[in-house]
Formats: sequence, structure tokens, C-alpha cells
Amino acid sequence: MKTKARKDSIRYRRKIEEKYSWDRLSDSVGERRSHKKRSVIAIILVIFVFATYLVKLYEVQVSSHDYYSVKSDSNRIKIRPIQATRGIIYDRNGLIIAKNINTYDLIVKKERIKNKEIFYKNLKKLLPITPTAIKNIQNQFKNRRLKDITVLEDITLDEYSKISVDQYILPEIELVNKSRRKYIEPLATSHVVGYLGKVSEYDIESSVIKIHEGMTDIGKLGIERFYQNILSGKPGFEKLETDAQGDVIRVLEKREPHRGKDVYLTLDLELQKHVYSQVKGKEGAVVVMNPKNGDILAFVSFPGYNTNLFTKSISSKKYNELISSPGKPLINRVIAGQYPPGSTIKPFMGLIALEEGIIDPKKLVYCNGSYTLGKHKRPFRCWKKEGHGKANLSFAITQSCDVFFYRVSELTGIDLISENLYKFGFGNKTYIDLYGEKSGLIPDRAWKSKTKQLPWYPGETLNIGIGQGYFLATPMQLTLGTSVLAGDGKTYLPHLLLGSKNKTSGEFSGYKHSENKFEANIEDHDYLDIIQHAMWRVVNEKGVGTASHLGKIEGQEIAGKTGTAQVYNLDKGRTGTKKLQDHALFISYAPFDNPEIVVTVVVENGGSGSGTAAPIAKSIIKYYFKNQKQASIK
Amino acid sequence: MKGYSDESNQRGFAGISAILYVDAKLFIAIITITIIGLVTIYSSSGGELNLVIKQFTRIVIGLVAMVFLAQVHPDNLRLFAPVLYFLTILLLILVLLFGVGHSADRWLDLYFMRFQPSELMKIFVPLMLASYYSDKPLPPNISYIFIAIILVLLPVFLIMKQPDLGTALLIGMSGAIAILLAGMSLKFFFATTFSMAGLLPVLWMNMHQYQKQRVLTFFNPESDPLGSGYHLMQSKIALGSGGFFGKGLFNGTQSKLGFVPEHSTDFIFTAFGEEFGFLGVLILMSLYLFIALRGISISIKATDNFGRILTGTLSLTIFLYVLVNVGMVVGFLPVVGAPLPFMSYGGTSMVTLFATFGMIMSIKSHQRILRK
Repeated sequence: MKTKARKDSIRYRRKIEEKYSWDRLSDSVGERRSHKKRSVIAIILVIFVFATYLVKLYEVQVSSHDYYSVKSDSNRIKIRPIQATRGIIYDRNGLIIAKNINTYDLIVKKERIKNKEIFYKNLKKLLPITPTAIKNIQNQFKNRRLKDITVLEDITLDEYSKISVDQYILPEIELVNKSRRKYIEPLATSHVVGYLGKVSEYDIESSVIKIHEGMTDIGKLGIERFYQNILSGKPGFEKLETDAQGDVIRVLEKREPHRGKDVYLTLDLELQKHVYSQVKGKEGAVVVMNPKNGDILAFVSFPGYNTNLFTKSISSKKYNELISSPGKPLINRVIAGQYPPGSTIKPFMGLIALEEGIIDPKKLVYCNGSYTLGKHKRPFRCWKKEGHGKANLSFAITQSCDVFFYRVSELTGIDLISENLYKFGFGNKTYIDLYGEKSGLIPDRAWKSKTKQLPWYPGETLNIGIGQGYFLATPMQLTLGTSVLAGDGKTYLPHLLLGSKNKTSGEFSGYKHSENKFEANIEDHDYLDIIQHAMWRVVNEKGVGTASHLGKIEGQEIAGKTGTAQVYNLDKGRTGTKKLQDHALFISYAPFDNPEIVVTVVVENGGSGSGTAAPIAKSIIKYYFKNQKQASIK
Repeated sequence: MKGYSDESNQRGFAGISAILYVDAKLFIAIITITIIGLVTIYSSSGGELNLVIKQFTRIVIGLVAMVFLAQVHPDNLRLFAPVLYFLTILLLILVLLFGVGHSADRWLDLYFMRFQPSELMKIFVPLMLASYYSDKPLPPNISYIFIAIILVLLPVFLIMKQPDLGTALLIGMSGAIAILLAGMSLKFFFATTFSMAGLLPVLWMNMHQYQKQRVLTFFNPESDPLGSGYHLMQSKIALGSGGFFGKGLFNGTQSKLGFVPEHSTDFIFTAFGEEFGFLGVLILMSLYLFIALRGISISIKATDNFGRILTGTLSLTIFLYVLVNVGMVVGFLPVVGAPLPFMSYGGTSMVTLFATFGMIMSIKSHQRILRK
């Protein structure tokens, strides 16, 4: 349908073309038609491509909008955790054991480092950095979970101001304020308090430890570990908008962290320090416990180690030093050191024999210095070569006569012995509030045939009777067992927690004694009296008791039992090295008539119980009564 | 059929535009796009007014160039075309010898200004071909086609050497459009195209490492999210997070916070799409479509082969630039570094684009004058 005007226009154009065409031979009509045809094809193509583009744009912008929205937000929004203040650890008198201090770290954000070579070069220019520190920084580079690299730890503001003068060399460097754990008596309290460290895969897999989003530090050992959930609090966070360089533009949202609860321990820090001062240069363990409620007043495994080293990133060199140190300071000997109890087992053996009706208190055994069992060629020797003569139970404990207890254990038999030893807490964990406790070992026929594929020999029962052989106990178990002997038959779960306090609300919640998992169940208190009296004689009967050389502490009477555990296959005297000497043990409680504390001392390779362990115990008991304080929570 | 009537254009604003030889519809569409561009630059740069002022200055210079060229009679354009073409070829050679630039020598420093001769070639190749075919019988025979191909490949080769693969390809394509519009047989065209495709491995061998990387990244953008694929990923995230209505003016986080690179130049479409959403994109694309169709319609109505080929080629080429740029930001095409017409921040491109439309308008309006 062509209008008249259009027809006119076409006629006009043709005239013009004829007039102005440069090549008279060209076919202007054909050219116009061909061009129009191609232009129409072009228009169709253009519209087709246009439509295709719109479909694609619709797909990206409308169909995938949600997907890209999330991506866009994760581009610009960063969540930065705010660490919660960790609870402070106090002793029973309110003395600080572990607190938080402010320190400054020099860090560099990884994303700001474009060229590592130049970075290292400038770093060396700016700071005196050792090759090991460089290696450490390289490792931090490799660790994909770290966003920042810590160049220097724990510097003072003074040190920083010196560095900042030349900071133009390395403008990427930043100073950050960090809270760091500080242990007041790191050596004396190392095993009981433990230390903090960075959250590891192992921690994340733990079912007991609650890991909150954004948490960086976590208790690794000791109280810090066991009460991690109470101490740690809950981190807060900041929602930040950042640009492509990672610089913060503004804070979108902020949630404040919840402070962790303070923890009060049953420990008496002054007593703990005194104990540690008494065992310098030795290896072993000391426990002081209140038998009336299970409060642990001192818990020392020695040698200790500096836990403050662990709150920074400890150098592998220092860590290896600790691991390979001959004193093995990293072992918590109180709960993980398993020792043959030696003669300290004798009061327990005596009580078992009395209760089982094997002997009566008047039963006499003649000791001529050795004891012959059946077809055994070699006799079992008493420590006193010339023998004790006629001995009853009380005298045998006082003098630590071996022959008496060979006889008694032969009469009792391994089955009754092993069955009854569990009553005192041996062979099981004491369930003190620490991880890593070992359960010791009470051997019996089943155990031996299972582990050694051998029958039980009667001679082994005799060895068990004097605390040698396969029988093993931790110092903590010995303490719990002693508290059974010292008490009136009632026992309490040993524990380190006195209570926890919410600092903001001031609310204090104490340790719940209902969580008792152990009951000794002593039936006949007359028998217990006999044993207690014998232990009194050990310390107090001048010239007779094996620890009577200690002398009296004014006003306080101690009861105890010495023990010297021979290291199996002891090569006595031949090589003369310290390693092959005896372990010295001493279990004790005081005051005799109304026990307030049970003291267990184990000194590895320390010689005799009476010579090494007993004096340490006496010093502790003396100190305790001199400085006796009441637990008071402020 | 009303739009077809030439008389309707001669009222109101159209009356003034007729005196200035300016096509009112094209003019309004172009000005609308430049205003959108200014707003987007202002927003995505985080409110940098001096960028906007610089760009505005270029638009004014472009407008002057456009109006000036609209006054020039097509005959003069036709006669001067070879001079302009060969002069620019000379400039391209100079660029190879004395050029300045960051990674590629594209710029010629004339002391008072710096410009890219390759941008000029975007107009002069269609102009040269239109001029060449203006006095030849069409469809062209093989020897005319051969000479035209030489005329296209000469600047393409020089620009590839700079190296600026994107511009070289675009100019090659605009040459192909011109020869096709001249009436080259389609069979012959496809035969030539496929034989050219056989040369692709040679092209690949001659490509620079970064160019190869871009092509490779195009086929697998997630392979290197922080390297070459980063631009494309971030561009798609920006567009996609815009949604249907967009995040709103000044709220485009992707471009404002620096995740989308080149948000004022090559990726300005992304910045626009993030803030104005699919709706804005639809309107912008429609404006470009309108310009292309308007250009083709002028081409159909042109009274001689020069006008037909020139306007047709230029309109289609401008639309092609839009497709290449948008194709790049949505991931249809590799990242080649082509600006979005009338939107992207940049001088030479803006002025040559206005010049292009000056010529189209000249063809359109001078025919009407002729008729009287």
C-alpha cells in the first residue's frame, strides 16, 4: 500500500539518481533492490541478536538474581569476630593464678602482600629478623586458614614507636592489640592449670569442648581445658562492609561478646608454691587433699614448665627442648605417672586381710629376714636382713616388715587382693576434674593370661603384697586411697573446682558434691583404727617407725607410711647411675585425730621413702598448719 | 506509514533540526544515552564530579563535530574519503613507531592532545569502502571485492600489531558489513569467511600471551577467578545482584567498592545494570536498537550507493560495538576491551561516534535538500 506522497518521493529519487549517478552503466533500480533486501536481512538479524541478548540478560539479572545477590554480599561483607574476655582463674583465697594481659602484635594482612620477595626484603630492612622467624612467617603464608601474618609478637608500645619511624619501608604492617593469657606461677601450676593455644582440628572434633564461631584460642590442657566452656565465654562479631582491597568502609552490625566466667580453684596458691620450692631439681608428684570434702589444696607435678611460652606461638626449638628434656616436664605425673606403690600399699593390704577375716590383729608372723614359698629356690627377702622377729600387723606396718606381708598376701590370695584394692580407688580413674588421667593397674589372673598369655604364679602375689611387681598406682590414686584410711569411712571425689563466678551478675555457683562417683564403704571401723594407729606409729614411735626420725611438729600429729618402690630389674650399684635408683614414696595425713589434709609425695629415683619423700611431706604439713587460711571468696 | 512521510519531520523541533541538517530522533536517542552514561559515571566513581565534567566536555566536542559533519555535503565526504583513509594509515604506522601506552601502543601524543588513530579507522574504513564502491557497478565483481578486502586488511593488520585485537576485529567486521551491503554474493562471502577461518591458527600463533589468556578465560571463566576470569565473574555478580529493578542510583556496591574493574569505561554497562536492573538495561538496549534501526532505515532511503553503504555500515557497526561490549560483560564474548558507544568514559571514541552520526545525518538530510 503506497501513498501518493510516497510514490512521488520514489519517482523523485529515481530522477535524481539518473541525474547524479556517476556510472551511467550501473543498474540503479537493481542496486536499490539488492541493498534493500540485504538491509531487511540485517534488520532481522539485528532484532534476533537483540532478543538473544535480552534473554541472556534476563537470565543473569532476573533468573539468577538470588544466586548473584548472595555472591555480591559475600564479596563486600566480612564478619570479624570479637574475642570474649576469658574468665580469670583464682585460687581458693582469691589469689590470681591466670589472668589476661594486653599485648601488641605486628601483623600483615596476606591480601596486601603482592610480591613476597619484596616483602621479605623490606621486612629484613625494617626489623632484625632471624632466619627461624622468616621460616615461621613462611609457614604462616602456607597456612590457608590464617588471613593475617604475625610478624612480631608481644611487643611494647615503646618498641612499636621505634619501628614506626621507618614504617614507610613496609606500609602494609599493622599494630594490633591482643589479649594474651598470663600465668602468675607458670612453673608451679603448669600441670594443674594448663595453657591456652590456637584452636586445632583436634579441638573441633572434640565432643566435650564447645567451639563458638570465631573462637581463636582454646584451653589445651589442665583446668584451662577442663573448664574451657565456662572460662571462654562467647565471641561477638562485627559485620563490616569492605571494598575490593579489603579496607573497611563501615560497620553494618555489631554484637558484643559475652565474658567468660571466673573460676575459683580449691588450690592454695601459696601452698602450691611452697610445695614446688621443696622439690626443685627432682622429678615426681605431690598432692595435698582435704579428705573431708575432696578439695585439692596442692597439685604439683615436677619439674614444671613455663606455660607462658605456650600462649605465644612457641618456637619448635623450645618445644623440642621440652619434649626431649630428661626430666620429661610435659608429663602430668600426678594423674598420668603410674608407679609401683611399694610399702605404701601395706596398710591397704593389712586392712583387706582384716576385713576378709584372713588374719586377726593379734596374728603373729616370725620374720627371720627372708620368706620361703613352696618350691621357690630363692627366698623372698625382707628389707631388714637380720629380720624383725615376731611381728603383728601394727608392728609390721610400723617397721614395714616385708615377711609379714608376704605371709599375709599368700594367705589372702591374688583374687581377694585384686578384688578389694578397687575399694580404695586403685585400678580406676579418680575422676578428678582434669583430662588425661591414667587408671593405674590392678593385676589379676584374667589380666595376666590376657596380656602375657601366662598363668598367675603364687610368687607374684607375694610381690603384690609389698607393692612391687605389676601393680601400678598414680599419686592421685594413692591420695584418694589414703583419704579412705584417714577418714571415717566416707570419701569424696577429688576435685579442683571450688566454684565459678559470673563477673557481670556477681552470681557464684559452687562445686556440686552430689557428683560423687566413688564410695569406699569401709565396714568395720575397729579395723580402720588399727591401721590408723599403725600409721601413727610409723611417724611417731621413736626409733621404731620408719619415718619417726622426722620429729614432731608442734601440736600436730602426723600419720603416714613410707614406701620405696624398686624399679623392676634394678641393677643396683653396678652402674651406679641415678636412673636405676628407687622411687621414694610417702603417704600421710594430719592431724591424726581429725585429718584436714592428706599429703602424698612421690619422688622418682629419689632413694628411700623415709629419706627423701617423708621430709618433703613434713615440710608441707608444717607449712600448711602455719599458714592455715580459710577459703574465702571475695 | 506515518513515520515514512518525510514531511512530518519538518514541524516543531524537527523544523530546527532540518535547518541544522540534524535528525531529531537520532539526536534525542543519542543524548538520552549520553546522559545515562554521565549519571552512571558519576555514581560508579563514587561521586567524582571532575570525571563527569571531562566526559561532558567530550560530549560537547562530539556534538560540535556531529553538527559540523552534518553540514558537509556527502559528495565532499566521498571525495575526501581516500585522503582521510590513507592519512590515518600513515598515523597508524606512526603509532607503531612512536606510540605511547601502558601495555600496548595505541596512543599518539600530539603534545596538545593524545588520541588513538585506530578509533578514527572505525569511521574511515566504512567511509573508504563506501567511497570506493560509489562509482562501481554493483554487485561488485571479484576484483572490486579483492581490492576492498585489501583496503580493510591493511588497517586491521596495523592495529593488530599495536596490539589491539579487539579494535582490529571490529574494523575487519565493519569492512565485511560494507562489502556485504555492496552486494557481494553470499556464497562467495561464506567461502571467503571459511577460508579466513583456516587462518585462525596463524592468528593464534601471532597473538600476545595476554590475548591468548583472555580467549582461554572466555571459554572457562571459573578456571582463574582471581586473574583474567575475575573481571567477568565480578561483572556477572554485579549484573545479577541488580535484579529486575536494580539496587538504585548510588547503591551499586560491586562497582562502587571496586569489585568491578573499569566500571567507568569498558564495564560501564555492568555498573548501569547493577543500579538500574533489568528494567534499565531493557530501556538502554532498546535505545541502541532504535538507533540501529533508524540508521538502517536512513540507509534504505538513501539515493545513491555511497549513502546507502556508508549509513548502513556505520549503523550496523555501532550496533555491533554495543553487542561486543554487552556480550563481553555478560560472558557471551571474551574480554576484548571495547567501549560501550556513547556511555564509556573516553575521548576519542566519544568524538568519533558523534562524527559517525554526523555523517549519517548528512546523508539523510542532504537528500531531502537535493529533492527540492
